[in-house]
Amino acid sequence: MSEIVLRADGLAKTFRLGFLRKRIEAVREATFDVQRGEIFGYLGPNGSGKTTTLKMLMGLVFPTRGRAEVLGRPVPNREAKRRLGYLPESPYFYEYLAPEEFLDLVGALCDVPRAIRRERAAKLIARVGLEQARGRPLRKFSKGMLQRIGIAQALMGDPELVVLDEPMTGLDPLGRKEIRDLMLELRREGRTVVYSTHILPDVEMTCDRVAMIFAGRIRSVGPLAELLTARLLSTEVCLSPGAGTLPPLPAGATTRQSPDGLLVDLPEGTDVDACLRAVLAGGCHVLSVTPRRESLEDLFLRQAAEKGAA
Amino acid sequence: MNRVIAIAWNTFREAVRNKILYSLLFFAVLIILSALAIGNLTLHEEVRTIRDIGLFGIDLFGVIIAIFVGVNLLYKELDLKTVYTILPKPLHRWEFVFGKWLGMLLTLAVQISVMGIVLAAVLAAQGARFDLPTAKAVWLLFVNVMLVTSIAVFFSAFSSPFLSGFFALGCFVVGRSVPDIRALGEKLGPAANAVLNMLCDLIPNLHLFYPSGAIVGAEEVSVHRQFVGSDYILSATGYGVAYSFIVLLLAMLIFRKRDFV
Ligand SMILES: Nc1ncnc2c1ncn2[C@@H]1O[C@H](COP(=O)(O)OP(=O)(O)O)[C@@H](O)[C@H]1O
Ligand SMILES: [Mg+2]
Repeated sequence: MSEIVLRADGLAKTFRLGFLRKRIEAVREATFDVQRGEIFGYLGPNGSGKTTTLKMLMGLVFPTRGRAEVLGRPVPNREAKRRLGYLPESPYFYEYLAPEEFLDLVGALCDVPRAIRRERAAKLIARVGLEQARGRPLRKFSKGMLQRIGIAQALMGDPELVVLDEPMTGLDPLGRKEIRDLMLELRREGRTVVYSTHILPDVEMTCDRVAMIFAGRIRSVGPLAELLTARLLSTEVCLSPGAGTLPPLPAGATTRQSPDGLLVDLPEGTDVDACLRAVLAGGCHVLSVTPRRESLEDLFLRQAAEKGAA
Repeated sequence: MNRVIAIAWNTFREAVRNKILYSLLFFAVLIILSALAIGNLTLHEEVRTIRDIGLFGIDLFGVIIAIFVGVNLLYKELDLKTVYTILPKPLHRWEFVFGKWLGMLLTLAVQISVMGIVLAAVLAAQGARFDLPTAKAVWLLFVNVMLVTSIAVFFSAFSSPFLSGFFALGCFVVGRSVPDIRALGEKLGPAANAVLNMLCDLIPNLHLFYPSGAIVGAEEVSVHRQFVGSDYILSATGYGVAYSFIVLLLAMLIFRKRDFV
């Protein structure tokens, strides 16, 4: 049984807005655990409650219901915060500071001794690729650069657990790859990474486990592979009819022409073996057979649709 | 304590790099310098005029700067969301508030010192000294701005910068007029008197810090002749510090319970 480093237990937050105290249920029910050493993705469309959940875990917002635990301690706890790094959503930092001044301040707040601060700040600035921006005030930073210095400041306290709220937004594809690589590196160093995003391909490339939240309610939590391979959507067979004749296809199959050949899409539940035998017996060539499993995007869309129907 | 100092130092650094504060200080210096010219228009009253105008300038701009600093430096953290980055660091919320306040205090101390030095220079230009009564008066003005800034911090812990500034200014105006308001109450009758006295009990008596013209003991006080003694300075300072700590404590309590959304 691995150690749980972050726990949301029935977290809920209702905001009261305006004069009429209109209720906004930003988070209705968030329950998940993050285990030590994994990269955990927190997925959901915009406005589904990701940021609010993370803020409750970081002690910025008090939950209306439920419990938040960081590194085994109820939030807020200074001892736990010492071993935690956090990047807020669309971060904004003291614009009058240069990166090394800012990191030095953060280091001081994290109780890092002065001698270590300078060295660590220089290393982190290099690590997030901001060496050429040293000495420049943060006011002059682009959104992507702010995101990078934000990640550097989250690492300034040498944390065991790193929580990043939408670390990829504002970055170009290259920058996103660098952040993905950085997260994998952090995991190799034995740190736990939790990040929220609505960009799915990034998740498929990095996350060990994910939680998906729709309209404030978590729909599924688990290893990505388990959530996805549960469903085989269809099997795609690519044929070259050649001199042969195409046998009658099973019910529900669709065909379409492609540059490679004829694409036959066999729905879930079709006897693929029998179909292939018939095709070969007819004298056609089989070029490829591809099982189409559910992609993260399919799952995401399905759950969003279920949510809409409910 | 290191963490509080880090916040305080950063707050001071922010103030030092703020253009608005420079322009306020510039105008304050301008007023004090103008005392030299105005003093020359008077007959044999040069030094007296310089002292009056100089102290007036320090008082006026000290209070404007105190309100600006108290409201702006805290509100900006909330508005620009830098607080999201800072509060999840291993520091208590009260340490953050206390650090901000210490940084503001340092900023105000530097500003008042600069104005004081300019006043001393202007006095020297007239062949007069920055004497002990003047120093005492400037010190009282510093305690005054400490209190005003603490009040501004208190209001900006829960309301918008505009309202906070407005309330803090209101507190200053009412607080400076406490004796007048009490006198007014006596004239208006018992009901009004009770209300006004309650107001005066709630709002700090800032008149303590501008004693020129008031009767302390049996004598009328003036920087030019008989100014307040050190026991007065001590008790007024104690009052200012105690009051500041109380409102600061309230600000910390509000901060403790707040959602940062
Ligand atoms: N301070 C707030 N007051 C009222 N509603 C809020 C507040 N913050 C967020 N919300 C609402 O809560 C919902 C969830 O927001 P958020 O947690 O930011 O979602 P996400 O990070 O997934 O985009 C949204 O509908 C948003 O409008
Ligand atoms: Mg968000």
